[in-house]
Amino acid sequence: MHDLGIVGAGPAGMAAALAVADMGFSVIVVDEQARAGGQIFRRPPEAWGERHGVYRPYAWARDLIERFEDHPKITAAFRATAFGVLRGNDKDDRASLELAVSSPDGGQRVSARRLLLATGAYDMPVAFPGWTLPGVMTAGAIQSLIKSQKLLSGKRVVLAGSHPIQLILAGQLLDAGADIVEIALARDLPGLKEMARGLPAVPGHVSIFTEAVRALSKIMRHGVPIRWRTVVSEATPEDTGLRVRLETVDPSWLGTGESHLHEADILVLGYGFTPSTELARQAGCEMKWDSAGGGWTVLHDARFQSTAPDIFVAGEPTGVAGAERAWAEGHIAGLFIAASLGAKLDDRALSHSTRRLIRAGRFSDVMQTMFEPKRKALAELSRQDETVICRCEEVRNRQIEDALQNNPFIQSVNAVKLECRSGMGVCQGRYCEGTVAARIGNAREASIEASGYYNAHLPVKPVALQVYRDISKD
Amino acid sequence: MFKAQRLKANRGRALQFTFEGTTVTAYDGETVATALLAAGVTAFNVTRGGEPRMPFCNMGTCFDCAVCVNGHSLVRACLTDVSSGMQVNRQEGK
Amino acid sequence: MIAREGGRVLLVERDQINQHASGSNAGSLHFQLEYRMIERGVEAARKAAEAMPLHLEAAKLWSDLPDLCGQAIEVKQTGGLMIAENTHQVELLEKKTEIERSWGLDNRMIDRTEIDRIAPYLSERVIAAAHCPTEGKADARTAGPALARAALQAGAQIQTRTEVTRLERHGGRWHVVVTSAEGTMELSAESIVIAAGVWTTRLGQMMGAHLPTIPLALMMTVTQRVPKLIPHLVQHAGGRLSLKQALDGNILIGGGWPARLIRNADGEPNFEAKPELLASSLSGNADMAIRVLPELSRIPVIRSWVGTTTVTSDQLPLVGPIPKQPGAFVATGGSAFTLGPSFAQVLADLIAGRMPDTDLTAFAPDRYERA
Repeated sequence: MHDLGIVGAGPAGMAAALAVADMGFSVIVVDEQARAGGQIFRRPPEAWGERHGVYRPYAWARDLIERFEDHPKITAAFRATAFGVLRGNDKDDRASLELAVSSPDGGQRVSARRLLLATGAYDMPVAFPGWTLPGVMTAGAIQSLIKSQKLLSGKRVVLAGSHPIQLILAGQLLDAGADIVEIALARDLPGLKEMARGLPAVPGHVSIFTEAVRALSKIMRHGVPIRWRTVVSEATPEDTGLRVRLETVDPSWLGTGESHLHEADILVLGYGFTPSTELARQAGCEMKWDSAGGGWTVLHDARFQSTAPDIFVAGEPTGVAGAERAWAEGHIAGLFIAASLGAKLDDRALSHSTRRLIRAGRFSDVMQTMFEPKRKALAELSRQDETVICRCEEVRNRQIEDALQNNPFIQSVNAVKLECRSGMGVCQGRYCEGTVAARIGNAREASIEASGYYNAHLPVKPVALQVYRDISKD
Repeated sequence: MFKAQRLKANRGRALQFTFEGTTVTAYDGETVATALLAAGVTAFNVTRGGEPRMPFCNMGTCFDCAVCVNGHSLVRACLTDVSSGMQVNRQEGK
Repeated sequence: MIAREGGRVLLVERDQINQHASGSNAGSLHFQLEYRMIERGVEAARKAAEAMPLHLEAAKLWSDLPDLCGQAIEVKQTGGLMIAENTHQVELLEKKTEIERSWGLDNRMIDRTEIDRIAPYLSERVIAAAHCPTEGKADARTAGPALARAALQAGAQIQTRTEVTRLERHGGRWHVVVTSAEGTMELSAESIVIAAGVWTTRLGQMMGAHLPTIPLALMMTVTQRVPKLIPHLVQHAGGRLSLKQALDGNILIGGGWPARLIRNADGEPNFEAKPELLASSLSGNADMAIRVLPELSRIPVIRSWVGTTTVTSDQLPLVGPIPKQPGAFVATGGSAFTLGPSFAQVLADLIAGRMPDTDLTAFAPDRYERA
């Protein structure tokens, strides 16, 4: 049995692992990727001979990764999926937590006295006609293919969304030789007043701003048009790629009917991020609605302990706030986990990390408010009868509308799920929950929060039945 | 439709595997998703409704890149490293 | 049924329709005695078989249900098999079918040759089975809402996210206090039905009635949709296993493997908390399923969930008038999804003042007063 089990080897998971392992406790980390770093620090595979990738603007990433990879008290399992949290008893009948893990070798259980869920986030899904077509991809997909696989997904690119990551990504795409047709951003160009309010975010984050300015000047140099108050409202397949319709929206992000068309190989969607919370939900952690933080987040106390005994959480699942803050949360969670395991709480380290947490928070708070997606308006993009809302079960708008109209007693995403299968497929509802919740809110004139969230069940990522059989082995 | 393009990099050694019986060349360290995108594959799987699907998230959450690998279904191509001789097939009715 | 006879009905649900045992059971329509009823020997099986009249009634009602309520409900009565892997299990099955046939259930033993003919998908390990042609499955996912829509059409009212907080009788009527986000409200009614599954005992206590039930948290597993493989409802005579394939193509794997109910500090079960899955149940259920159908081993599982159902100490349902509480009725306990339509029929008769066709002596709550 390990002292701590961590799911996710991103900044939060690595920082926590080091804080706990440095106190002499044993730590096991499970991650689906091939190497440590999380989505933010994706790097080329080990077989290509380079230890590091490009981590700009996070100067501390290199050292963090090296210390994590070289630590004798940290064991890491990559290409492994933690598909559930179980509670059991060890040989001495002490209560323990167990991660059910699946890897190409089969299934197994990993026991630990504490768990930390540092599961990161994924690109926020927005349903519109054609969003399931080949060539429509998320910003995270395009970026990770460039960073870790040195692959350019397409030559002619349209970027649409609302998150500033689109600008950084555009810079990376230009470097890789792509032609960017247009960058469409849903919000208005920030006014002077809003910029002034954003000033507190700058101290300590100069490097991030430098990075953004660098990308922006590259975009200007290439003469790439940026269109504000514009969303993608439709994609249709063409012999030579995609035809993308970009529609002008009003300040509340509702369509004005005015639109223009582009042809492209790739349409990149970047509306921001949704915390990955399915494992926390399955483990019984209470959730908290935080729209600016990305939607449903995991409720926790100042020690980053969730409401489920012995389960801690850090990084994006507490509210999407970026790598700086994820590092600080992971480190603080690690210090408290070590203390809960019997170590003396390291006050100096704690106050150092708390300062970093507050500084990072100033930046992420501004980012969150400035770029919070208008969810109810975006959900209206899925109102055409045949638009797919649930990608896996191919549940279309018409079926969602019928479910809501014919069953006036339905007010929650779980009830819609049972009624028309949306969210019942292999992605476990990650890609339709937001749209369905907002649509219930619109139909019932209620908040999105009142629609609730899908129950998450084991396995949070599908596994072959034989993996279940395997986990009886100890 | 434009094929994905490998950028200049020091890749691993070249190897071969099959997709739907056709030989695909890839490089050690690549994922099945990368190799199939670079090979110009236009459908990793086909939904029950008959729609072709391709990688969407490339981080293991959406399952749109699911393929069959050596007889195992619903394998995420974006999280699976290529290996010499592996048999990959389109997943029907994901 | 009551609304159709002209009764003014209000259905109060603390959550959303179909969110608990009714929507989260596996949708088996089993009329044979289940494994839990035969695992303790023939005498226990004989006792459990007293519920057979309700099962026979349910077999008929389920097939009429889609027409009766004018809603599309997936009901497939394509037959059920209870399988045996050794001679001991075969003997048990033979005794069991004898008891069931004496009550009038169409159920008979078949050998391996016949299994090869009607169920070639089963592993060679299966040597015999009891075959009951009326068994099958209903879609538990959609049956509840379909019935709710039918009730609305018949004039009933439904209030969801509304909890009963007080039940009192005075002035010859029932007074029910309900609480929801809109606040607290008092309602009055001539009759009251408790159809609250695991919450039955607690609601009984509110009116001072003794309605003993035993909560049972059971795990179910569903696979990805796959091409047609299993036409029957398959159960096992020697262990906890049920297998069937929904019309959508998903295979449902269950059979009564336990999950851990969360308990409060005082030891009382907390039905509001999510029960916990057990590794032993996950692997045990998978192992049995793969043993009788090896093809399942590579099929991806999409989710395992827990439904908390209620049983009684004698494995019989709890249905009938509540003693000393005029106008109050209860229906719950064991196989309640299968028996739902029978319960509804009995309750509608009782509320209308008619004598139900089925003799309720063995099921009525007053059996606990008599004891």
